[in-house]
Amino acid sequence: MAVFDTPQEAFGILRPVCVQLTKTQTVENVEHLQAQLQAVSDTALQELQQYILFPLRFTLKTPGPKRERLVQSVVECLTFVLSSTCVKEQELLQELFSELSTCLYSPNSQKPAAVSEELKLAVIQGLNTLMHSAYGDIILAFYKPSILPRLGFAVSLLLGLAEQEKSKQIKIAALKCLQVLLFQCDCQDHPRSLDELEQQHLGDLFASFLPGISTALTRVITGDFKQGHSIVVCSLKIFHKTVGFVMADEQLRRLSKAQAEPVVEHRIAELMVHREGDWVKNTSDKLVILIKKIIECVSVHPHWKVRLELVDLVEALLLKCSQSLVDSAGPLLKALVGLINDESSEVQAQCNNVLRQFADQKVVVGNRAFTDILSESLHSLTTSLPRLMNSQDDQGKFSTLSLLLGYLKLLGPKINFVLNSVAHLQRLSKALIQVLELDVADVKIVEERSWNSDDLSASPKTPTTWQGNQVQRRYFRFFTDERVFLLLRQVCRLLGYYGNLYLLVDHFMELYHESVVYRKQATMILNELVTGAAGLEVEDLQEKHTKTSPEELREIVTSLLELYTSQENWYLVTCIETEEGEELMMKQSDLQAITSRVHTCQIISFPAFSKPSPTICSMNSNIWQIYIQLEGINQFAYALGKDFHLLLMSALYPVLEKAGDQTLLISQVATCTMVDICVACNYDSLQDLINENSDYLVNGISLNLRHLSLHPHTAKVLEVMLRNSDATLLPLVADVVQDVLATLDQFYDKRTASFVSILHALLVALAQWFPETSYIGQPQDQSLKEEGSYLHQTLKNNTTAEDIEQFVLDYLKEKDVADGNVLDFDSDEEKLSVPPTLEENDTLPDVEPPLPVHIQIAKDVMERCIHLLSDKNLKIRLKVLDVLGLCVIVLQSYKNQLLPLVHRAWPSLVHRLTNDDPLAVLRAFKALCTLGGKCGDFLRNRFCKDVLPKLAGSLVTQAPISARAGPVYSHTLAFKLQLAVLQGLGPLCERLDLGEGDLNKVADACLIYLSTKQPVKLQEAAKRVLDLDCM
Amino acid sequence: MAVPLPLPPPGPQFVLRGTQSAVNALHFGGGAQAQGRQLLFSGSQSGLVHIWSLQTRRTVATLDGHGGQSVTWLQMLPQSHQLLSQGRDLRLCLWDLAEGRNAIVDSVCLESVAFCRSSVLAEGQARWLLALPGKGSDEVQILEMPSKTSVCTLKPEADAKPGMPMCLGLWQAESSPRPLLLAGYEDGSVALWDVWERKVCSRVSCHEEPVMGLDFDSQKARGVSGSAGKALAVWSLNGQQALQVCSTHQLTNPGISDITVRPDRKILATAGWDHRIRVFHWRTMKPLAVLAFHSASVHCVAFATNGLLAAGSKDQRISIWSLYQRT
Repeated sequence: MAVFDTPQEAFGILRPVCVQLTKTQTVENVEHLQAQLQAVSDTALQELQQYILFPLRFTLKTPGPKRERLVQSVVECLTFVLSSTCVKEQELLQELFSELSTCLYSPNSQKPAAVSEELKLAVIQGLNTLMHSAYGDIILAFYKPSILPRLGFAVSLLLGLAEQEKSKQIKIAALKCLQVLLFQCDCQDHPRSLDELEQQHLGDLFASFLPGISTALTRVITGDFKQGHSIVVCSLKIFHKTVGFVMADEQLRRLSKAQAEPVVEHRIAELMVHREGDWVKNTSDKLVILIKKIIECVSVHPHWKVRLELVDLVEALLLKCSQSLVDSAGPLLKALVGLINDESSEVQAQCNNVLRQFADQKVVVGNRAFTDILSESLHSLTTSLPRLMNSQDDQGKFSTLSLLLGYLKLLGPKINFVLNSVAHLQRLSKALIQVLELDVADVKIVEERSWNSDDLSASPKTPTTWQGNQVQRRYFRFFTDERVFLLLRQVCRLLGYYGNLYLLVDHFMELYHESVVYRKQATMILNELVTGAAGLEVEDLQEKHTKTSPEELREIVTSLLELYTSQENWYLVTCIETEEGEELMMKQSDLQAITSRVHTCQIISFPAFSKPSPTICSMNSNIWQIYIQLEGINQFAYALGKDFHLLLMSALYPVLEKAGDQTLLISQVATCTMVDICVACNYDSLQDLINENSDYLVNGISLNLRHLSLHPHTAKVLEVMLRNSDATLLPLVADVVQDVLATLDQFYDKRTASFVSILHALLVALAQWFPETSYIGQPQDQSLKEEGSYLHQTLKNNTTAEDIEQFVLDYLKEKDVADGNVLDFDSDEEKLSVPPTLEENDTLPDVEPPLPVHIQIAKDVMERCIHLLSDKNLKIRLKVLDVLGLCVIVLQSYKNQLLPLVHRAWPSLVHRLTNDDPLAVLRAFKALCTLGGKCGDFLRNRFCKDVLPKLAGSLVTQAPISARAGPVYSHTLAFKLQLAVLQGLGPLCERLDLGEGDLNKVADACLIYLSTKQPVKLQEAAKRVLDLDCM
Repeated sequence: MAVPLPLPPPGPQFVLRGTQSAVNALHFGGGAQAQGRQLLFSGSQSGLVHIWSLQTRRTVATLDGHGGQSVTWLQMLPQSHQLLSQGRDLRLCLWDLAEGRNAIVDSVCLESVAFCRSSVLAEGQARWLLALPGKGSDEVQILEMPSKTSVCTLKPEADAKPGMPMCLGLWQAESSPRPLLLAGYEDGSVALWDVWERKVCSRVSCHEEPVMGLDFDSQKARGVSGSAGKALAVWSLNGQQALQVCSTHQLTNPGISDITVRPDRKILATAGWDHRIRVFHWRTMKPLAVLAFHSASVHCVAFATNGLLAAGSKDQRISIWSLYQRT
């Protein structure tokens, strides 16, 4: 607390001390004075300011060598006084300024005097305080041309200190002080902002120092990283503030008009700088060099605050001096762009802010020069990009690509200027294509097979969209870092977002066509372009001027889809055709077949490939090509959203085709694509997707079936459809199934395998969709669909009394029909148009009711099976036997249809059982068991006559072999056959209700297997047969 | 793909399924002004009219106005959103389809059960003429619509005995406003009626079997008709309004159920009972293509203004073909 409030009191106290100091100038006296001053209030001190300052200034001015300690304490005391008072007179300000500055003056050298660090610090602080204590008007008056020499001295002094001192404290203090001197202090004590004229005067004044300041600061900034970040931050700040002030476009623009220079002394006038065009040009040329140096050094500075300050520097200079420093704009923007992906989130955020601000204020877009510079930078970058991508490591690639991305972001819609130049576009695309080259040496991808697509039906339950989470990692030739890939994606998306999509798509489609080498990359790029054009996952800085309309986008996507799914791009060789090849794998078994005859069927020698087999590498490449194209469809769906609905008619079919592909990777990605299409088009599940669009699919299937040799994969689509759908699909598919059967009839010799697999899938589906219910033997009059829809309708609507009545009536009627009383439905189409509720009494008793669709299909299929049972290809025979079994299961309640067919199939089946490969025998026996189960006594006699003797005989002949055999025997086909026969015989005998004589035969054959020498499993099976027989 | 294969025969561009019964009538609507939203109307045996969007290839709406009786003829009135449908329930319905409505705004009762498809002559929107089979089995009735006032009944002279009319074509020469009617009769003859004077201008016998379909090109004053027999007949009209048979063209299989010339008068298509669509050059009558796709007889063919061909068949499918498009 101040003790002395009034000047009088204070004067009383201070007077003796001042006098004492004036007389004898010692450290003690100064300290005494300072101690006394503590007790004086600020107002009193202000009154006595001149008085107190006198002895202090006197001490400083006294000629002769002074002790540093004394000077230091005087300066400190002076600083104290100034910090609590204001300087109101200009004279005083000037004098004090010179007196303080001279404290560090050494007459002999350019460098600051070799004095203690404490003194230097004290002087710097003194100067700082002095400048702060001056009144606003006074200080403006202070900055007159006449002060130039003195000010120049102080500035160079401070710069020298900042540059050469060891102490960090001094350096910072010097820099801070410099900042104050240059009127750029950022503390709160300068509330008054300068008007234009004042700014201009100051600018003129400081222009003289600009070379010195900028070079010295550059030296500081580009100095050792170890000097501490705050010094660099501070220097950067002063640098950009000073440059920004002196070179401000605003000032320079006015300068050209106002030319009334105040008359000054000649000597001073020499020091003055006139900021005319030439000077600006020269200065900016020199500044470019400095700025480049600074950027080069600072952008890799380890401390984030320094990089952050760099962002500010760029911002300040580009905003204020975009015209005067136009040459530096390139490096400045480059620095900014390069920092967009900085490690530090603060820097990133600030960078983005600045960029956004630029974008908002149209700094780049609105400025032709900047656009040119950026385009130029972009071009030079794209030119060197291929080389850089070759030579740089991942980190280097990352930063180069970040830079590219930043340029694109900054240029925004203006990238079209760059893209419109053929040279630019070609450079850019070549670079991207080169970088994105995939490594296709991985053999595993070709190897992995999706033998069984059971997983396909499981996948819809876990609808994971795969955006971002890749099923398969891809390997690039030129980089391994995943971040690089993400950057590249972002680059492509930005291109799509801002660029002229037609131009880009056209260009990359050309590249797609140009060479297989480019194809995969071009596809990837095209995919990303579309995603970008839809504005998805794009970090945009500026509004697009011309947004791609959904119609345009759809048009583009349509043409891309056409390209991807065209015959030559979609049906690439991804594996050596296995359809025939698989036969090789079926090793001929030299086992004694259950038939007494040794199997002699020779495996047809593997057909020599007429064409050179594709290399693993090219197949791998093809797989990737398809993968990327599928992924593209996926991205298109994502980009178009609901608009993709319209494209489903052309897109869904090829995707389904690939979902049934043998290569695991392809079928996986196709399934993912389907799941994503579900998401994009708002379907609940794959099943929904397929059901709702089955018309498109059926259309494709039926048209392609007409030219099966051209479209060998048609079968797969139907298979996938069947596997993923439910009974509601049937009415739609029925049509196509007829087509399939008709085509099969045409191509019995070729392509049978794929047809049989369709039939298999179809029958599996039918067996699953129409499980056997209790009403065995009841013909269904209405197609299942009708029933379903009616039920659905009644459930949906609120049930009214009429509904219930109707329901009961229907029920009664159906019950009646079920009992076989009514036979009023005929197959005449005309009659069908009569509403089914109408009772018709005129019955046509001879006409059979139409069969339900699925029964009709099963019947037709079984008919084909009869012929195919004797196909010369073992694999087909096996499959047909399975299909036969399924047909029997589906048809079991329709004995009138089933039995004639069984009758016709029997001879062929017997042939399979007795005269075929053991594998076929095994399968045929299984089919027989099913048949026996469903047809019962219809088969009894045939079984006893045609099959039983041979079965029993073979069991008997095999028994000694199995009795002698070792433990490995249980893995042989013969064993499996024995086991299957033994296991199947029991139930078969029971179902067929065999007579005693035949049962005895069975028992005889089985008895041998009760021997303890037989494998345990066979013993058990035989025991069970006997158990059943006894019952 | 290694072996270069000969180009496969062309297939339909796409196939529309889902009518669930035989397709008897087809008509393109929507016109050129709505290229993207072109519509196809199909009338089925089960009495439903399906409206197909050719963009989505799906039904947009289904019109049920003929009580389950087969729809035999469909026609859109020019420059309006009104559709005419003729059914075997002896009704001719006028549907308003504007702005997604689908309601019957008017209907005309037919007075005889005939196979004959009606015909419309509508130049302006306000009034139009409708030719439909009349009360007597050999009569044709002309109505002025929408007032439904009977203009006249065209009854052949007593000694002619041409049988029932099988197909009708109302038209107007560019030079005169006089409406003319071409009618194909059961006895295989085609007659030209002057509606105002109610008399037959000319008659020519061109088929042995009933005429099943005809189309007339008023610019070239030439028409073509198909019958249940094995021949197509091309006839022309001279300055004195007299019909003359120009030529006949033998077909492999008998039976044509519909015949239509493309709006640009370059080609014509026939719907055959032999499941095939045949395409001829209209000027030279050179056979250009035999389109085999359907698995039952083809009932109707229709051309869109942009040249698309649609064919409806008993096999419940509608095939859409893009043929000899102008490039």
